[in-house]
Amino acid sequence: MILLFSLVVTIMNPAFFTLQNFFDLLHNSSGDAILAIGFFVALLSGGIDISFPAVAIIGQYIAVNALISMHVSNLVLALAISCGVGIAFGAVNAFFVSVFRINTLIVTLGTSSLFHGAMLELVGTKAVNAGQLPKCFTDFGYAKVLHLQTASGTPYGLPLFAIVLAVVVLATWLILRHTLLGRIIFAMGGNFEAVRRSGVNIRRVHFFIYCYVGFLAGIMGIMSVSLIRYSNPTYIVDTELLPVIAAVVLGGASIMGGSGTLTGTLLGATLIAMLQQNLVLMGLSSYWQEFFVGLMIVIGVTVTHVQRKFRTGNRLTFVRD
Amino acid sequence: MNAKRANSLTLLVLLILSTGVISIFVPGNFLSIRNLHNMGRQLPEYGLLSLANMLAMITGGIDLSIVSITSLSGVVAGTILSQYAAIGLPVGVTIALAILAAIAVALLCGAVNGVLVAYAGVPAIIATLGTNGLFLGIAIIITKGAGIIGFPPQFAFFGNGLILGIPAQFVIFLVAVGLVALLLNTTAQGMSMYMYGSNPIVARFSGINNHLVLLKTYLAGSVLCAVSAIIMISGVDSVRPGYGSQYLLLTVLIVVMGGTDPNGGFGTVLGVVLSIFVVQILQSGLNFLGFSAFFMKTSWGLLLLLLSVSHFLRTDIIKNHIAGKYLKKKVQPDRAV
Repeated sequence: MILLFSLVVTIMNPAFFTLQNFFDLLHNSSGDAILAIGFFVALLSGGIDISFPAVAIIGQYIAVNALISMHVSNLVLALAISCGVGIAFGAVNAFFVSVFRINTLIVTLGTSSLFHGAMLELVGTKAVNAGQLPKCFTDFGYAKVLHLQTASGTPYGLPLFAIVLAVVVLATWLILRHTLLGRIIFAMGGNFEAVRRSGVNIRRVHFFIYCYVGFLAGIMGIMSVSLIRYSNPTYIVDTELLPVIAAVVLGGASIMGGSGTLTGTLLGATLIAMLQQNLVLMGLSSYWQEFFVGLMIVIGVTVTHVQRKFRTGNRLTFVRD
Repeated sequence: MNAKRANSLTLLVLLILSTGVISIFVPGNFLSIRNLHNMGRQLPEYGLLSLANMLAMITGGIDLSIVSITSLSGVVAGTILSQYAAIGLPVGVTIALAILAAIAVALLCGAVNGVLVAYAGVPAIIATLGTNGLFLGIAIIITKGAGIIGFPPQFAFFGNGLILGIPAQFVIFLVAVGLVALLLNTTAQGMSMYMYGSNPIVARFSGINNHLVLLKTYLAGSVLCAVSAIIMISGVDSVRPGYGSQYLLLTVLIVVMGGTDPNGGFGTVLGVVLSIFVVQILQSGLNFLGFSAFFMKTSWGLLLLLLSVSHFLRTDIIKNHIAGKYLKKKVQPDRAV
């Protein structure tokens, strides 16, 4: 599907298939890809965590404000604060999910509303613009690992964001593939009861999953600030939720948990990012974007599910959503 | 007492308590006719959407596209209404035409959802997530992102008029509540929805046409969205794609708070209506007491979590302590998720 889309775009616009455009794509969409990975991990375990946009926004806003009030410009500190907030947030989610066994969708809906409201009430609602933003953020946003130049002399390069994304992907892959914890996460999505009865400490796994999602959202929050050089306490909350979920689901992860691949998730995220970036290149005005993202999700999931239906044929596999 | 009534009772107590507390702090103003009118005007918009989401949730699904269906049918109705001078038909006919068009568009959207969920077998949360973007996208394409204004003045009745001293949209809301209650409690469709929600396989083997039941569920929900759209655009006398998108999470919260089981098979109109009232009372009350909109957001989140915890504790105590005494063994808790 991605190949097909790339082909169409390349035909429409030869400017698409260049290294520069590819690096731009990485630069703009690494954050979303990290969110998608977090959402994917929660989905694998059979849960749904929709609190990540709220976590990202709270983490970055608190970090930015803390740095400004301390008059320091230290990226490591900012990341530590943001991720710390994310982990704390995740722990609260995990607490409700594992101790009270409340539906994960409801828990994360409730906590994101609760904490986002509380943050706006307690920390403030003022947006921080580029001038006030500590310098470390803008540096992080501009940082390039590899410096290249186009034929016309415009410099471009491999953004530092891509390295962050690569580290996250590698870490998640190692955890999911090569640790007991990762296998338990897969198994939980497949058959929760079986895992529980085989003596796994479910509570600890829940805490790991939701804290990990929070941690990744914390990283994304800082990346997002660095990218747009503007810290707005209401910005990410509703705009990033749907594209991220769309990316994961298009990547073939089952909404019921237990199946899905990291590669698929990354491909899904790439597809959504390409779609968002290239509709304009293809000469369609920006208000077609919503329509096409929706259309992609509908077609993508319909094809997967109709295929599954044909495969299972007349077997009595009733699947609940 | 079963869990069904217990939840509605909790909500009723909460409703009376919050009304009482707020009335004490804001004497005279809170229960004044003017404020009651205000509340009656605000509540139907998301009340109707909550009912639509409840229908989907009873069958074990969820409808994330309600807000977009509302946007799209509102935009279509608005387009017709704003051209009323050009069309040249009598005003009454134009309005009727616009309302019919809104309902027709909504039904079409509902049919798309229903076909995806029932016949293609796509999980409702993903299907409606996709159609959410799709429908909103179409609405944005129609208006090119701008708003539409210039409706015939008579149209404002639905959002601003009074019927017997009661705001018109509140009367419409009550009629809708009555119809949904009839649908769920007295018709075969309602019964089948509960059965499908609690166990699709058993429903299938009892001769229920699962696909058709699901399709009808989403069609019914979409009609409620169209009605909400009419009220909304009449109330503000204009329409813009994405209007009312802040209601999406609120409706999920209301429906769950109303005791509807997100896994399907359980949910009452009474519970959801009480839950709608609680949210409205809190909203107006906190507003009167000078709290910000953010505090409201916080309190809704807190309320949702606390009610879920209390629900858990109640079922847990019933299962493990009361039932356990008779069964002499610990009942296994339900699968979380």
